[in-house]
Amino acid sequence: MGELIRVEHLKKYFNTPGGKLHAVDDVSFVINEGDTLGVVGESGCGKSTLGRTVLKLIEPTDGKIFYKGRDITDITEKENKQLRKKMQIIFQDPYSSLNPRKTVSELIADPLKAFHMLDKAGRAQKVAQLMDVVGLSQRFANSYPHELDGGRRQRIGVARALSLDPEFIVCDEPVSALDVSIQAQILNLLQDLQRDRGLTYIFVTHDLSVVRHISTDILVMYIGAMVEKCGAKDLFKAPLHPYTKGLLSAIPVPNIDHVREKVKLQGELTSPIEPKDECRFIARCPYATEACKQHMPEFQEVAPNHFVACHNVKTINNM
Amino acid sequence: MSLLEIKNLSIHFVTRYSDVHAVNGVDLTIEEGKTLGLVGETGAGKTTTALGILRLIQKPQGRYESGEIIFKGKDLLKATDDEMRSVRGNEISMIFQDPMTALNPILTVGDQIAEVIHLHGKCSQAEANERAVKMLEMVGIRAERAGEYPHQFSGGMKQRVVIAMALACNPSLLIADEPTTALDVTIQAQVLEMMADLKKGRGTAMLLITHDLGIVAENCDDVAIMYAGEVIEYGTLERIFHNPKHPYTLGLFGSIPSLDKDEERLHPIEGLMPDPAALPAGCKFHDRCAYATDECASCEQELAEMESGHKVRCARVMKGEI
Ligand SMILES: Nc1ncnc2c1ncn2[C@@H]1O[C@H](COP(=O)(O)OP(=O)(O)OP(=O)(O)O)[C@@H](O)[C@H]1O
Ligand SMILES: Nc1ncnc2c1ncn2[C@@H]1O[C@H](COP(=O)(O)OP(=O)(O)OP(=O)(O)O)[C@@H](O)[C@H]1O
Ligand SMILES: [Mg+2]
Ligand SMILES: [Mg+2]
Repeated sequence: MGELIRVEHLKKYFNTPGGKLHAVDDVSFVINEGDTLGVVGESGCGKSTLGRTVLKLIEPTDGKIFYKGRDITDITEKENKQLRKKMQIIFQDPYSSLNPRKTVSELIADPLKAFHMLDKAGRAQKVAQLMDVVGLSQRFANSYPHELDGGRRQRIGVARALSLDPEFIVCDEPVSALDVSIQAQILNLLQDLQRDRGLTYIFVTHDLSVVRHISTDILVMYIGAMVEKCGAKDLFKAPLHPYTKGLLSAIPVPNIDHVREKVKLQGELTSPIEPKDECRFIARCPYATEACKQHMPEFQEVAPNHFVACHNVKTINNM
Repeated sequence: MSLLEIKNLSIHFVTRYSDVHAVNGVDLTIEEGKTLGLVGETGAGKTTTALGILRLIQKPQGRYESGEIIFKGKDLLKATDDEMRSVRGNEISMIFQDPMTALNPILTVGDQIAEVIHLHGKCSQAEANERAVKMLEMVGIRAERAGEYPHQFSGGMKQRVVIAMALACNPSLLIADEPTTALDVTIQAQVLEMMADLKKGRGTAMLLITHDLGIVAENCDDVAIMYAGEVIEYGTLERIFHNPKHPYTLGLFGSIPSLDKDEERLHPIEGLMPDPAALPAGCKFHDRCAYATDECASCEQELAEMESGHKVRCARVMKGEI
């Protein structure tokens, strides 16, 4: 399938009293139609900012975004609005992203109204159909979000995102606030929709078993920068970056026979404000050498479709 | 004798509008130095059980309907308020679900820990200060940071301060309510490892509340699975992970994406947990259960012993039908 999204050297810096905060720093990738790019990393590493910048909900500081080969970085407000129909977002917190004074059917009809699509009867029909698709019983049409549980509220979020028949959806931690049994229901729904409608996703999460399950490729971020990217299953089979190794081995696994070698990461994240030109992982890396202090490592392809930013990737992995 | 034995504990919240059956006939046992994992989804009654042990249930709505909480041979439900005050902090301490609210923003972290020690430890202020700094170092925070305020600390560091505070009086039981849910996995791993080391060094027993079966696998000796205010399965870690029996427990395991197997789709439990203000008759899980019969909808289920060290609340499992 063809390329849907291409991002080149994307940067988003925020001005703060302490200087420029590098939320997204030189990120590049391609997502093909029908695929899912999983984005993982610790709190504050820039996952949400990346998702929002790709959708142009936030203006990038630098870099380019292409949609089906067309440069959309500097398009007009009007073109941007048209593009919004094709590119949607589902948020983590279904509680705060829904207007508490609107009913379920009003909430799902909102995007259709905003784009003046369909007449009243047509909208009602479309809303009923969307509720079916996401598994919301019609009896909730006149309920308010606070009357529903988290799983149903997230279904409203999914229905809203689908209402304009998008091709691309950024899912920003869509299941993080949910119990595992409800989480699994929503993940199945998102996968069914992807298959039936050929949707393309960016799936942001900090839950590594979820991201492995749902992604085609996975991008690991650390303080705004890309540290590793490859096929989802490969990442778990053979992580090459020391940060990825530590991250993966820190996940508690629900299997008592599974004895894993743990790569311990000491310390906490360093500040993303005006980071030095050195490897950003240096303070926590068990393999750091002089070279790591000289400059930030380049993001290179070290095996087919396996990219890593680490000066010592070859020695660490006996390659 | 077990350190803590909870028998038939029921806690309801009664208001003019509703009668919430949050905890219904719970039996749990914790042995000295051991960790019991309490697992269940939102609203299952985990926090209420924990607060119930410490007699911190919100009054006047919260009521003990029945039960005994035998701690070191004494029933805490019969203890006086004075006795309870000395139990809390000295003998049983609790780490709450939200670490951020457990700290006072206008006191330095050193002073907060010293205050706890001073209050319960019957020692001088100077001694308390000294011990507070020791506690901080024990959880991996350098002594010179004792004079800083909570907002100057990251989430993981704040949680370590909370743990230092909870362990300051050397309790014999630590209740930890989702102690790492707000943290990143790498920081979570650090905090859990630190807790395990401290526990081992001091022989502290723990009730670890979590919804993460991975955390249970790596930290607990025994496991209790809660659903709609009831314990529906209870056993050693080994039994629960190698031989889970209750359909709800099986559903929980089926909902988690595997980290090494490839599966097209997950196998979640359909539907939702019932509202504890309107619990169904019979088995509380029957309307979501693939194995339910008419009998399940009408007959109360008992938590029955399958094998030594393994109890299940399901008549069909007990009869060997599942
Ligand atoms: N509007 C803003 N102004 C200043 N800084 C911001 C702004 N939005 C985000 N940041 C900072 O940018 C960095 C990346 O934030 P972002 O929300 O993208 O992280 P994240 O990876 O999604 O984290 P989480 O897992 O906690 O959601 C953080 O340091 C954050 O504090
Ligand atoms: N003070 C209260 N008044 C009324 N109902 C309450 C009160 N405290 C708890 N409940 C209800 O009791 C039930 C059990 O709540 P509890 O907090 O024990 O669940 P939990 O298992 O800890 O859930 P979570 O995983 O979300 O923390 C819920 O339905 C809750 O709404
Ligand atoms: Mg985010
Ligand atoms: Mg709770």
